[in-house]
Amino acid sequence: METPDQRLFEADLLSAEFRAGSLKGFWGLAGCDVLPDQPAWPVRILWMAAAPRANAPDRYYVRLDLSGYRSVAPTGTFWDPTTKSILEISKRPKGKPDSRFARVFRTDSWPHSGSAFYHPYDRVAAKDHTQWPTEQPHLVWDSNHTIVDYLEEFHSLLNSGDYIGV
Amino acid sequence: MVNEELELFIHSYGRKPQMVRAAAHEVLKEVLIRVGLLKEGQDDMVFVGESEEVLTEPDEVEDGIDQHAPVDVLLTIDVLELRRHHHVHVHKCRHVAVEVNFNGRTKRHRFSPATTVGVVTRWARRKFKLEGAAGAEYVLQVCKSTKQPRSDEHLGELVEPSVCSICFDLVKEITPQG
Repeated sequence: METPDQRLFEADLLSAEFRAGSLKGFWGLAGCDVLPDQPAWPVRILWMAAAPRANAPDRYYVRLDLSGYRSVAPTGTFWDPTTKSILEISKRPKGKPDSRFARVFRTDSWPHSGSAFYHPYDRVAAKDHTQWPTEQPHLVWDSNHTIVDYLEEFHSLLNSGDYIGV
Repeated sequence: MVNEELELFIHSYGRKPQMVRAAAHEVLKEVLIRVGLLKEGQDDMVFVGESEEVLTEPDEVEDGIDQHAPVDVLLTIDVLELRRHHHVHVHKCRHVAVEVNFNGRTKRHRFSPATTVGVVTRWARRKFKLEGAAGAEYVLQVCKSTKQPRSDEHLGELVEPSVCSICFDLVKEITPQG
């Protein structure tokens, strides 16, 4: 039986904003070309397109824990469609040194390295950084935010000049 | 083919975009009336597609103006090529006068309401010579606020029909620290 958070997420997949981005090839729900079925709720695998870079994929998959959606922000990280597991660091998208990109997708050691994004839209990272709502008030996740806000934020980074490939 | 249903994304001020299905032979006005975004006798303008013409404007042009024109809503979905355009914008403003401030300077352009914030951002970065990686972290923030609209939002969704203008500051996005 579907839970309210799952119903809300699935309704948002049918929204004009999600569909419009999907139609443009910006993002989508992982299809049966990479996995026969989506994992059990509250986990979902989605993908975001990335700007062309030498020897880098044209899209990255993310494995998100969406429990409590939309009241609670997602958390998750890159996922490997080949191994069906968390994407190893050598295959993760990299940014120019000291860029915002490099910080958000940081692969150095921090308590949640490899399992969450260093960004206010990730509930695990946000919980540890109580100063972020003051410093970045426009990125405070609340129940008015949807999966499209999450995808648009990270899709923009993957298509920015600071993204250099893997 | 003529009876095939298409997905249309309808945009207007102050509400989330709406997805509707329409047959290729349907008249656009009837579709907009059906979803409650147009009434008989209402004089709102309707634009189709997403305007990106500012991106091909020569660098030397100042205070430019988009040519993207409203359409005749009595035409059909098919004739208006909505199979290709998908987006429909209903707005009272023919243009949205945009001002962008950066480093004490201001650049202006009158955009179609069917322009995304992402396109305005690319235009602003170019006008202020912030293209390439150096400009990647600069985003638009509504003046006197902390609001940074998403790049896929359209000016027509942000701008009150009675105002037809908006002011942005071009600001460096904060890098998470701590």
